[in-house]
Amino acid sequence: MTHLVWGIVSVAAAFFLAGIALGRGESINSIWLVLAAVCTYLVGYRFYAKFIAVRVMALNDQRATPAERLRNGHDFEPTNKWILMGHHFAAIAGPGPLVGPTLAAQFGYLPGTLWIILGAALGGAVQDFTVLFCSMRRDGKSLGQMAREEVGKVGGGTALLTVLLIMIILLAVVALVVVNALRDSPWGTFTIAATMPIAVFMGLYLRYWRPGRVLEVSVIGFLLVLAVVIGGQWVSRSPSLAPVFTLSGVALAVAIIIYGFLASALPVWLLLAPRDYLSTFVKLGVVFLLAVGILLVRPQMALPPLTRFVDGTGPIFAGKIFPFCFITIACGAISGFHSLISSGTTPKMIAKEWHAWPIGYGSMLLEGFVAIMAIIAAGVLQPGVFFAVNSPAGVVGATPEAAAATITSWGFPVTAGEMEALAADVGEKTLLHRTGGAPSLALGMAHIFASGPWGRAVLGFWYHFAIMFEALFILTVVDAGTRVGRFMLQDLLGHVWKPLGRVSWMPSVLLTSALIVAAWGYFLVQGVLDPLGGINSLWPLFGIANQLLAAVALTVVTTVFIKTHRARYMWITCLPLAWLVTVTFAGGWQKIFSPEPRIGFLAQAAQLEARLAAGGMSAAQISETKALIFNARLDAAVCGVFLILVAVILTSSIRLWIRILKGETEARLHEAPFVPSRLSAEEI
Amino acid sequence: MRKRLRKFLRLVLGLLNELADQNAYHRYLEHHGQPDSGDAWRCFSTERFRARYHRPKCC
Repeated sequence: MTHLVWGIVSVAAAFFLAGIALGRGESINSIWLVLAAVCTYLVGYRFYAKFIAVRVMALNDQRATPAERLRNGHDFEPTNKWILMGHHFAAIAGPGPLVGPTLAAQFGYLPGTLWIILGAALGGAVQDFTVLFCSMRRDGKSLGQMAREEVGKVGGGTALLTVLLIMIILLAVVALVVVNALRDSPWGTFTIAATMPIAVFMGLYLRYWRPGRVLEVSVIGFLLVLAVVIGGQWVSRSPSLAPVFTLSGVALAVAIIIYGFLASALPVWLLLAPRDYLSTFVKLGVVFLLAVGILLVRPQMALPPLTRFVDGTGPIFAGKIFPFCFITIACGAISGFHSLISSGTTPKMIAKEWHAWPIGYGSMLLEGFVAIMAIIAAGVLQPGVFFAVNSPAGVVGATPEAAAATITSWGFPVTAGEMEALAADVGEKTLLHRTGGAPSLALGMAHIFASGPWGRAVLGFWYHFAIMFEALFILTVVDAGTRVGRFMLQDLLGHVWKPLGRVSWMPSVLLTSALIVAAWGYFLVQGVLDPLGGINSLWPLFGIANQLLAAVALTVVTTVFIKTHRARYMWITCLPLAWLVTVTFAGGWQKIFSPEPRIGFLAQAAQLEARLAAGGMSAAQISETKALIFNARLDAAVCGVFLILVAVILTSSIRLWIRILKGETEARLHEAPFVPSRLSAEEI
Repeated sequence: MRKRLRKFLRLVLGLLNELADQNAYHRYLEHHGQPDSGDAWRCFSTERFRARYHRPKCC
């Protein structure tokens, strides 16, 4: 009977995948995408993940986990597997699986959907699961520690430096998404600005008035946030308040930079932690709401499966499907950042080894499902509207008429009047040139949520609710990331001069916070001023960096497999590793050396230099062009550093693998010894 | 059916308490043999946040 059910699920997975891959000419219902993902993920979870768990990892519930052996009631604590799965999912689900798929929808819904489904099942979930396993068998050690112990000092140092650099690019690019969503939007800006005093109120409430009542204060905070989302409409119509909250891109960038600095330097309980609680609950709630909305509404996909931009001429970012689709969608398919979570809190809380199956593999599949929902939300918009929202002014033209004419000439009809009416419906002056994915995703979500009885009357509320949800947790990534970056920098600078390493010494706190904020702030301002929208340069850079971190994680796991005499199964990690190395090195090479100026940083610098040499520019234009040339070269250098760092760790690992396989070196494992588990089912 | 629903709701509440650090706080109180108080929460949250915001947040 069980075999029959799984046979039906497997056939259904193949049927739905074939349906979306081969269907042409007429639009399909979004439920096809949902069913293709669900059936494939079920098959992957039941068969592939179980195969890995049994044959490769040999998970053993009789072996005590770090949570049991090192139980301290704090970090190490055996936890119910479903609760820990929710906790782990909340930790890995950031803005990436929502923004990346939305941007990649410029190729049509098909490439992104297939990559998310297959990439998550064969790559992302495998990475999360295997890293979690390795960390669980090593007392919950971090990826950097495991890299140092299993691969060597070079591996450990490279992993640390890679993480720091990736964080800087990540913080810049996600902050840019917020800037592009809130630019000239008094309703959105007011809502997000109001979340700061709400967070401070929550912080004081928790610290002094009702200590420890986190759920209670989160409900109050959520109701206050809902109130400001509704009140934002009134602010946007107020002649005195609207101008105060109508900010340009640069002004917003400066505001976010100041916010990042304050969040890093202020006591964490005052601003950062309460915002984090609020953002976690809102994030999980909205993801659940979106899933229910899609299942109830079952919208038709308006976006075609493939667009003309598969040839690399896309307006949002330049580059062909290979490699750029696989770089643009990182989280949702495979994300190196997850390896930091899988080797962070989660391995210290797993009660039984077999729980790693749903927690490591299953949570990533859930994240893949979130990414599918993002593709659906972007795909239900009319393609003309999708491109009008996401295309930068430098590509489609600055006026509404010029933008509409350019986009219509691509075969995606849209009019300036249509865009004006849509903007008015959601309470905005304009929705044009909002590159970054957040506004189009919010529009798609509002479209789905507003399919209820109130229809277009509540479109504005849902749009701004979605913007608030995205900006809230993106800013949580920014503030927490800045703080973590500060600690990493203090760690490094502490080797130069000891007082700089003291995390509570105020001059060091201020200096390192300023340095980290200046680093990502520079890239943020660069993105805001970029005539091509900033996303064209920064998102691929972030995608490459994130995928390279995944390559580092898979390298470490492969090393462990080889050391534990499971070399015959190394294809499980080497398959996604080879794919990632191919994709990231191809992407990185093109971003540096492509002769097409919209793709290659060096070609872009050369083109700008030629313009400079041709003369006829004002003094302001000359200085702006010089800055753009410097930025293009800086981006090329950063991309080059990423590739070199990963080449170093990859080369040193491969040399080690060969030496171990040839028997030239001893395979020294750093696994914790076997201790029999005494934890009963009732205790968890 | 009602039993399953109750179990599911218990799980959801458990997850919310875990995300809100309330489970961790109760474990902390038990481990240290302390009663619930403002000082205990402040001690717990200082330690908790220090560990949490030393780790990168996922994208």
